[in-house]
Amino acid sequence: MDKLGAIFTQLLNGFGFTLGIFFFTIIFSIPLGLLIAKGRMAKNKIVSAIFRVYISIMRGTPLMLQLLLVYFGPYYVFKVSTGSIQVGPFNYRFIATVIGFSLNYAAYFAEIFRGGIQSMPKGQYEAAQVLGFTPLQTYFKIILPQVVKRVLPSVTNEVITLVKDTSLAQVLAVTEMFTAASKLASAQVSVVPFVVAGVFYYVFNGIIEIIMHSIEKKMSYYQ
Amino acid sequence: MSVLEMKNIKKSFGDLEVLKGIDLTVEKGEVVAIIGPSGGGKSTLLRCATTLETVDSGDITIAGDVLCASPSEGAKSVYCDKKMMQEVRSRFGLVFQNFNLFPHFSVRRNITEALIHVHKKSKEEADKICDNLLKKMDMSSKADAYPCQLSGGQQQRVSIARALATSPDIIFFDEPTSALDPELTAGVLKVIRELAEEKMTMVIVTHEMSFARDVADKIIFMAGGVIVEQGPAEELINNPKEERTKAFLAGY
Repeated sequence: MDKLGAIFTQLLNGFGFTLGIFFFTIIFSIPLGLLIAKGRMAKNKIVSAIFRVYISIMRGTPLMLQLLLVYFGPYYVFKVSTGSIQVGPFNYRFIATVIGFSLNYAAYFAEIFRGGIQSMPKGQYEAAQVLGFTPLQTYFKIILPQVVKRVLPSVTNEVITLVKDTSLAQVLAVTEMFTAASKLASAQVSVVPFVVAGVFYYVFNGIIEIIMHSIEKKMSYYQ
Repeated sequence: MSVLEMKNIKKSFGDLEVLKGIDLTVEKGEVVAIIGPSGGGKSTLLRCATTLETVDSGDITIAGDVLCASPSEGAKSVYCDKKMMQEVRSRFGLVFQNFNLFPHFSVRRNITEALIHVHKKSKEEADKICDNLLKKMDMSSKADAYPCQLSGGQQQRVSIARALATSPDIIFFDEPTSALDPELTAGVLKVIRELAEEKMTMVIVTHEMSFARDVADKIIFMAGGVIVEQGPAEELINNPKEERTKAFLAGY
């Protein structure tokens, strides 16, 4: 029983990092995704092409590789030492993880948002224009609220994937929950830590599903 | 005073010339119906007048404000600046064929949103205007409903209320009943008829010939990007002079 208690406390420690990676990635990647979607839809062909290439690379290469590049890149390419970087309680390992995840997830979110924005009927823009709304008012009052409703199911998908992807942070030796579980498993020669970690991930995603479902329900007052 | 003046309007989409030099003047209190075959340029003309399309050449003046003008005959039309454009847009209302209500707003918010955030009216003022309009549209009980809960006819009446809310000098209707079944059409036509009786200046693109004859002062028959024939409503419907007009009306 003691063993299980130890597993629990150590995994809970790691879970703090998992949560940290998760929330920071959501906070940064969603606005960034909106901007990238805007860039991808830019009328200027060069601007649009740049964002297309960005999305293509981010989606076309492993996230693990991107994490390693963000972590080691500054030193190997620019000879900038990152060892002493510290923002509040976060060292560069953690910061690099969040940057890598945000850049990667922003690309996926951008494509989801683009799909949502482009699915909006032209008539909504025209009605807003004729009524005298400025482009900014049109975007934030008329278009975006409807796009949010349209993209919510796809966003939920990405968010759930992100919870599981946080385990990739172990390549940068961030002691998030999966790293902790691996260490415990080899120390105790047992699969129990993995099972407990699995339960953690599952419960966390269960909560996310419930929250997203209630948001979807709240927005179902119109079609 | 004329509320709408369009002079020598030309518009092409690529190689396709859709408007080949249209002149249209609408006087205050006048109801003008535009009829004609699909692809004849009716809707494009309306979209040019309502800033949804830009003309290639020609002049458009709405309620004395110049929206665009050709520096010389047939030259590329020059549009007014953004500020003037907003001013021009506050002078007219547009009712779409498929309503284009904002689905995430209640009926009330559909009508008051522009009043509050574009015309800077207070919430109370906007609500008052909205209540009056809904009463007129026979929709008072639906103020808090969402568009998806309304029939097509009710949605169209809300969109007419939305267009009227900012007290425009002229209202454009782009086939307001084409998306409705005959039963729902009647309710919408009744509302437009009432507006005509109140001397609201209106331009109506429509396929309802008898309605056009009854409600319009003047009818314009457009085909192939030109005005083929125009005249007093009854006369044009009952005694068309041009062969093209006769052929079109024979189908009704």
